[in-house]
Amino acid sequence: MSIPKISGIMVLLIAIFFAVGVAIGYVAGGWGKVPGYEYGMPVKKLKAGFIYVGPVEDFGWTAAHDQARKHVEKLFPWLETVYVESVEEAEAARYIERLVREEGADIVFTTSYGFMDPTIDVAQRYPDKLFFHCSGFKRRPNSGTYFVDFYQVYYLNGLMAGALTKTGKVGYVAAHPIPEVIRHINAFALGVKEANPEAKVYVRWLHEWYAPELAREAAQALVSIGVDTLAFTEDSTAIVEFAQQQYEQGKQLYVFSHYSPMQNVGPDVVVSGQLVHWEVIYADILMKVALNVYNNTNLENVDYLWMLKEGAVELGGKPGVPVNPKFIDELKNKYLPGKSISAYDAVMNRLALMKEANVPFDPFTGPIMDQNGNIKIQAGQRATIEQLFTEQMNWFVDNIIGSPSG
Amino acid sequence: MMQIRVEKRIVVSKGFNASIRIFTLLLSLVLVGILFAIYGINPLEAYARIFMNAFGSEFGLSETIVKMLPIGLCATGLAIAYKARVLNIGAEGQLILGAMAATWIALYSNIPSSLVGAVMLLAGFAAGALWAAIPAVLKIKLNVNEVITTLMMNYISLELLDYVLTGPWKGPSQRGFPLTDPFPSYARFPLIGGTRIHYYTLILLLVLAIILYVFMSRTRIGYEIKIVGSNPEAARYAGINVSKNILTVMLISGGLAGIAGVGEVAGVQGRLIENISPGYGYTAIIPAWLGGLNPLAALLASFFISGLMVGSDSVQVSLRLRASFVDVFNGMILLFFIGSEILTRYRILIEARGRKIWI
Repeated sequence: MSIPKISGIMVLLIAIFFAVGVAIGYVAGGWGKVPGYEYGMPVKKLKAGFIYVGPVEDFGWTAAHDQARKHVEKLFPWLETVYVESVEEAEAARYIERLVREEGADIVFTTSYGFMDPTIDVAQRYPDKLFFHCSGFKRRPNSGTYFVDFYQVYYLNGLMAGALTKTGKVGYVAAHPIPEVIRHINAFALGVKEANPEAKVYVRWLHEWYAPELAREAAQALVSIGVDTLAFTEDSTAIVEFAQQQYEQGKQLYVFSHYSPMQNVGPDVVVSGQLVHWEVIYADILMKVALNVYNNTNLENVDYLWMLKEGAVELGGKPGVPVNPKFIDELKNKYLPGKSISAYDAVMNRLALMKEANVPFDPFTGPIMDQNGNIKIQAGQRATIEQLFTEQMNWFVDNIIGSPSG
Repeated sequence: MMQIRVEKRIVVSKGFNASIRIFTLLLSLVLVGILFAIYGINPLEAYARIFMNAFGSEFGLSETIVKMLPIGLCATGLAIAYKARVLNIGAEGQLILGAMAATWIALYSNIPSSLVGAVMLLAGFAAGALWAAIPAVLKIKLNVNEVITTLMMNYISLELLDYVLTGPWKGPSQRGFPLTDPFPSYARFPLIGGTRIHYYTLILLLVLAIILYVFMSRTRIGYEIKIVGSNPEAARYAGINVSKNILTVMLISGGLAGIAGVGEVAGVQGRLIENISPGYGYTAIIPAWLGGLNPLAALLASFFISGLMVGSDSVQVSLRLRASFVDVFNGMILLFFIGSEILTRYRILIEARGRKIWI
């Protein structure tokens, strides 16, 4: 009875090999020939729509998605894209439907958590079209989900922050008290703790994703209580600009840029940060759609959660520059407490481990205690996806000052 | 020397009124047309697309109607309030309170499911009306300016909304995001097939606009409201209870805005969200005035403005211009339209080198 089972798997494997082979064939065939890229064209043209929550020049979330859109449009000659920016949640359904119904989009990417229900509703009404919702968890046969996560990178930022702070006070300006942001603050705090067990992380909530004025005020308030190192989740360069101005007035702050390359905005203050490569995911999805690996019957279980290993996120405040050279010596001279490895080497070492296929290192490895002294992750164990990515992530690591509920 | 004088027009015919409005509309289209041309887009083609996207396709028309529901409900109510010279700027907050009341009924009450729809509408009306009653009482008892209080009440309502969504009403299945859980299906308003038009609200809007029209033109209270608006002193001498009229128009306009909120949660979103109204309560002020404070005309103006907003989607989607251009486009057209109001009531005399030009 096991023979048909094996042959089933074999058929599947052959099908996958065939699909991958065809993909390589098409791509290699097409890119090699400069004018005649028609060889590289899969069966038909594809039109992809993108729904953005912010303006495309927000220097954060939406800008990153839009750069990825431009990237894949250049990459695939058979791809046409259309986007709508500054879409309010209350109006998302109309724009999504407009793209598939009036603009002839074959696939729509919706890039805000609040677009989840509208995406599913429209997907239900247009079963022949494909949809991908970013950051949500609801799927249908014609609607998948995708996300990248930064917690590994936040941990590395935290290591550097702990090594650099002179006052032992590290600030974090945070957007909304949701599991994603809490996870990032915790990962950052774990890094800080490892490099400097005495240091504290002070959290201030903005309750906004994009609020340059509020962010600036929050940074100022943190600095006034002695914070000299800042990380943040807010989609503008306000905090980096603030720190650079402080530097020009003679006060050195250390800042970790968020989401977009911000090192050029604060060349004397940005140590490192997180960068996103949505194009890696978009290219993968669109290629598979073009080759009919993904279609309107099989997206129910398609859920991307890509991190360092897949190259969807990068450490640094500038592409290709994991640590601002200005701070490398300082980080090399600072050793992790009780260890013979410098902060710089520790960062590079763990970065390499987290890029490996089997990810031999994870920041959320116990014992990890919350602010009330409860053990949240047992010694020697790794946090589960559930613990990290659901509402269970509603606690703060014990070196954080502030409330995880906002 | 050039001199400019502004004088009140003494006689204004209806035909003149209409031609001024058409003239200013054309002027705004020409100016926005220049902007389109700067971006290399044929203005006529742009306007054709905007019109087709708003009224010329089944999808566009249905979406225009979806948008008209909240704007129209708020605008017809505001028209009555403004007729009494009660300047209610608080429809946005009253809408939010209506949405919150409906959410409570849908998710947290034990009302039999067959009654939920009707109870949500009643509760929404009551919540909006009560929210509007606070500034009304402040105005009546303490003579507090209602423009300030109704506006401030909007901010309070937003904070209240934020509080319930991040606190007690945050949906357990929403992974910490500030959203309530979805309404059960019996608390969702049915839709016209293939569209997003929730027809309970549509029928209610049409019926209410007609009732308000009759109320204003055929009833004693309606007549009193007009007198209070045009001359409160005279109204007092005539023995009209001004306070009662102020309260009446605030309750009506607040209640209608509350119903608009019910329509948004039960008809469109199916849950309460932070961004439940992208400014419908403010937008509705424009059609209320555009319609000359007549409820039926305000409804028509709401349809026009909703069409303008839905149609201008195409500026972004098919003409590939930035979202900020949409705001410029909508803003210019509305500014000119409202500006035309002045030209219907005043004339401008430009005197230069002995010549006189009347506008």
